[in-house]
Amino acid sequence: MPLLEVKGLAKRYRAKDGAIVHAVKTVSFTLEAGQILAFLGPNGAGKTTSIKMIAGLIRPDDGDVLIAGHSVGRRTRAALIHLGAVLEGSRNLYWRMTPLENCEYWGGIRGMNRKSSRLRGLELLDLCGLADKSHHTVQQLSRGMQQQVAICCALLHRPALLLLDEPTLGLDLEASDRIQALVRDLALHDQVGIVLTTHQMEIAEALSHRVAIIRKGEVILENGTEQALAAFSGNTYGVDLTEPPTVEKRALLELQGATFDSPSSFRIVLETASDVHPLLNLLRPIGVLRVQRETADLATVFRHYVETDEPSRTFAGGGAE
Amino acid sequence: MMWQAFVAEFRREWITLRRYPTEFFGELVVVVVIFYGLFLGSSYMSGGGIFGARLSSVILGYTLWTLSLAAIGNMGYSISNEAQNGTLEQVFLSPVGAVRILILRNIASLIFSMLFTILVIYGIMALTGHFLPLSPIDLVPLVMAVGTAMGIGFLIASITILFKRTNQLLGLLQFVLLFIIMTPFTTFHGAWQYLGVIAPLSPMVGLLQSMLVDHQGLLTAPGHWFWWGFVNVALWLGLGIAVFSRAYARAKTRGTLGHY
Repeated sequence: MPLLEVKGLAKRYRAKDGAIVHAVKTVSFTLEAGQILAFLGPNGAGKTTSIKMIAGLIRPDDGDVLIAGHSVGRRTRAALIHLGAVLEGSRNLYWRMTPLENCEYWGGIRGMNRKSSRLRGLELLDLCGLADKSHHTVQQLSRGMQQQVAICCALLHRPALLLLDEPTLGLDLEASDRIQALVRDLALHDQVGIVLTTHQMEIAEALSHRVAIIRKGEVILENGTEQALAAFSGNTYGVDLTEPPTVEKRALLELQGATFDSPSSFRIVLETASDVHPLLNLLRPIGVLRVQRETADLATVFRHYVETDEPSRTFAGGGAE
Repeated sequence: MMWQAFVAEFRREWITLRRYPTEFFGELVVVVVIFYGLFLGSSYMSGGGIFGARLSSVILGYTLWTLSLAAIGNMGYSISNEAQNGTLEQVFLSPVGAVRILILRNIASLIFSMLFTILVIYGIMALTGHFLPLSPIDLVPLVMAVGTAMGIGFLIASITILFKRTNQLLGLLQFVLLFIIMTPFTTFHGAWQYLGVIAPLSPMVGLLQSMLVDHQGLLTAPGHWFWWGFVNVALWLGLGIAVFSRAYARAKTRGTLGHY
């Protein structure tokens, strides 16, 4: 049984002029424990609406969400016990209270007693390097620290599923790195399933096992992150040599489709990976510093799907370990 | 789970009070001074002042009014402030559930409001030199009044959760509530006496009046207002919770739960 099953979510609103607006047309995906899913899309694509439907804060018009087998719509209480969330654009914390007092409060309303909320809060704040800030009020902390405290509060009750809506938005590099390390650690060591929305593609690529891209309310790609990148990487190889090849040899390489970026480095398209061997034979006796298949980044994949009318592609399995 | 949530809400109230005591004591001074101003003003206008049973009724009405306003305002202000501050959605992610969280929150907050009210009563009595014979049993009608006020609070919260901005409505409600508390519905006769049962807080006002001014017992006060008080609480609290549950579901459908 998957940790999270999102099945055919749809949400429509009536605009002020009476027209029906399809905020989310159809969103489906699954997530296993220990996986990080990057849920990507341009502004207004339906990411936050989908995240709030998963959290039970917006009632979908169609579809259902199962968290650990419990329907968020029908068995809300049982489902919410397994859920933690840090929502975008919200403070998520009481600013007049300290991080530790916030931990005690948010743990309490999730059914934890004061002692266990406090101990767990101290453990999480320590993990984030914020133990020395546990007695400052939240309003005295930097934005990065506040965001980390919000994540700590969402993790108090050891949820199996964590929703993070833009967790690194507006943070400096150091705070962003800390949050990335925390997210990676949660998935790897605590087997928390994480749905992460972000506009920062390099963060999504670095963290995620799976990727889902939403455009105009529809999931148009769902796949393992590596598979999605591999599908766009093609068979272009970059080669760096110790010295420029002779004129005859260069002409021969160019005849086979090589494009020289500098006198001693070129790119060439090979049909299969085993074609690297004849290429190396051809280059002999020139020294070879690097032969590497060039890979696409997530930004390229994202742009391709969002900026073209590519039909939706979903793949079963793939991705996470 | 409910107890842990209540402790969390109580501690949150206590931390805020402890960290920002000037807000509590500032409000206390304002409420007492306003009463004293009204007292002096009415004494000046009538030429002779207010004494005896009439003054007792006014003190009771005023304290009941401030307590009820706190109970009603807590719900509305709490929701609009939290929506504005961005904590409302996190609160509603609690497995305890929105209605129960709001009830627990209000009970926690009203423990402090009761303390506030007791200080207000003693402050007013000290200023006017008119002492009412208070005893712990007098808290019973006050607690019942809080139950009805919570019901009205849920009605205000229903409007707040859908439309968020209800500050003007809360301002207007102060005067409606003052009218209801100061009108002696429990003394009406014929078919009008049913208003005494239905009108919010009315049986509790009558009961407090009988107990503190006419020196009757809680259960022996004429008119069975103690029992009618329960009917009043059940009516308004039940209505408030039912309407709020519908409004909450509607806000979820409209996707406006955390909007401000």
